[in-house]
Amino acid sequence: MSTVRTRLAAIALVLLFASPAAALTDEEALELIKLQDERQNSVGDYKALVFIEQKERNKNDQVYEALVYRRDVTDKMVILFVRPKEEAGKGYLRVDKNLFFYDPTVGKWERRTERDRIGGTTSRRQDFDRSRLAENFNVKWLGEEKLGKLDTHKLELRAKPGADVAFPVVHLWIDKATNNLLKRQEFALSGRLMRTTFLPKWFTVKNSQGKDVWVPREQRIFDEVEKGNQTTVVIRQVELQPLDDSYFTKAWLEARSR
Amino acid sequence: MGIYVKVAFRNLLQARRRSLLLGLALASVSMLLVFLMAISQGMADSLLETTTTLASGHVNVHGFYKPSTNAVAWPIIEDEKKVRPLVEEILPDVERVVSRAHGWGKIVSETGSIVTSVTGILPEQEDRLRERLTLAPRSAYMEGGGDEVVGDVSRVGEPGTIFLFANQARRLKVDVGDTVILAAETSGGAANSVDLTVVGIGRDLGMVTNFISFTHKDTIHQVYQLKPEATGSLLLYLDDIERTHAARKELADALASRELEILEHLDQPFYMRMDALSNQRWAGQRYDVNTWEAEGAHGKWVITGFQWISYFLVSILVLIIVVGVMNTMWMSVRERTPEIGTLRAIGMGRSRVLLLFATEALILGLLASGFGAGLGALFASILDAARIPLPSDAAKTVLMSDTLRLSVRLDQIVRSVLVFTFVAGAASLYPASRAARMRPVTAIHHVG
Repeated sequence: MSTVRTRLAAIALVLLFASPAAALTDEEALELIKLQDERQNSVGDYKALVFIEQKERNKNDQVYEALVYRRDVTDKMVILFVRPKEEAGKGYLRVDKNLFFYDPTVGKWERRTERDRIGGTTSRRQDFDRSRLAENFNVKWLGEEKLGKLDTHKLELRAKPGADVAFPVVHLWIDKATNNLLKRQEFALSGRLMRTTFLPKWFTVKNSQGKDVWVPREQRIFDEVEKGNQTTVVIRQVELQPLDDSYFTKAWLEARSR
Repeated sequence: MGIYVKVAFRNLLQARRRSLLLGLALASVSMLLVFLMAISQGMADSLLETTTTLASGHVNVHGFYKPSTNAVAWPIIEDEKKVRPLVEEILPDVERVVSRAHGWGKIVSETGSIVTSVTGILPEQEDRLRERLTLAPRSAYMEGGGDEVVGDVSRVGEPGTIFLFANQARRLKVDVGDTVILAAETSGGAANSVDLTVVGIGRDLGMVTNFISFTHKDTIHQVYQLKPEATGSLLLYLDDIERTHAARKELADALASRELEILEHLDQPFYMRMDALSNQRWAGQRYDVNTWEAEGAHGKWVITGFQWISYFLVSILVLIIVVGVMNTMWMSVRERTPEIGTLRAIGMGRSRVLLLFATEALILGLLASGFGAGLGALFASILDAARIPLPSDAAKTVLMSDTLRLSVRLDQIVRSVLVFTFVAGAASLYPASRAARMRPVTAIHHVG
């Protein structure tokens, strides 16, 4: 909590003494993305109910309901689909940088890449996981931009060599007033824009140490390659109580569909 | 023996109507069998041609590479220069070696998308492929399209281009000259994309063309960020295709003896192994040495299924024929009972009586099935020459061609004639043996 306050104070000082359009140095930009990581880091365990709405051109809209369990200290994560009925029991398990997918209809586990699309939607594992921006990217301030009525810092993030990220270049728009991340654009290695994500609503949940953990209530993800495809991820009922170790095992996920 | 044939033939002529009816039935079933075998052989020929040009050599060396035990398996031979000389040394009868790179990604157009494999080729190595590919008329992939053919097969594999098939173009709603995006993940896991111009849209050639498209090998290297010395598979074309299985074993054993990790041979396409290999805990380079039959395994399953259905259908018809032959022979025996009695009384042995009736059935079987098989072969050849376009995608998928293809083989005609002659002869044995066992005195006094 004190780290977040220190960072906020540092950023406030920078902004106070800077002229309205002054550039952020690389260090200041790095502080800003570290702040994003820290605000979203729950330290302990994390459980959330998630709704994923997938709109695809020429197809009917699909709505999925899933439970997300995370243990950020050990980088473990489980995504368990509970609705619709035909998807119930399917799930992902991330352990030691391995992502596995379980399909109860065939009773088989498949290894997936870390960047796999979740449930075939435009969303990816990273959209449900803790933020690791500072760990994976080098950052550069691109300028100030108006996003609707809001003044934002626009940052460019480039993946560090060897970083395991889906998109090697990311642009972020961070609200100057609240430091909330409002918009994210992700680019392919070729420079093509692949996804644009809007994060219009954030809320906080207190963890066991009394720290406020920031959670995006809604993420609207637009596929920029297949125009018209859109995924909305809504996060509800976040709980930060300790979870049993058994949650992060294949046996637990398999047992959900029995 | 000649006299038996003569007598049997005259008997057949005497009961002309009955013989004609039974003969027609025999001829029809024989014709049907030859026709079904021609379809099945046509499928097998299409499978061989399609598989060995689009997706496989006679023998293939496929690479699987896992950078770490946790990683998924990539279809990569890390260093072609290390493997190719070994292959050429071990199999001196390899006529040519074709190197291809494999990709799997999403092809996106303005209005649609498909997930498919994209094969990277070197145009200078792909004469056989260009010969096999034929451009589809616009009507095959565009609503309201006409018979005009656009595109250029000679441009297949040019850098920055893609060659699609009609079913893919239909789903993507693209035409020659349009640009599509190939979006995929690099071997390092980052998203990547490339714009490709459609240079040709080929006719569908069965299931294979639902999941294959062609671009230049460098495009695959660029999208997946592969090293220049890497490739996906080496397709080996032998001087003699009959040596395929022996060559595969020789190559696999010899490569293993040179300390290359060779996977156990499975009768399935290489891409079907990727999930299982991804789940295994090993890292590094492994190879799968397989044959065109393994790559075309799905087609073989279709052909086997078709053959079983054909044989089931023909078996039912053969049963009807057997009943017909037996019935005819019974009638013949009944009508000729006094004659049999006379022949037995003047010294003809039982076995000769049996031979007389059996010969009658054998002659009928031989003539009728020969006629039917010939007619079936002629009919199949005419239809094959007509190259009739198949009306539905399902038919194209099952028959592995976009036109009705039938292939008649002499050995199959001969086999079918022999089978029906034998069936007719065998069916006559019981009535003939009953005739042979008659007591002469009873037979002579028999009133029909």
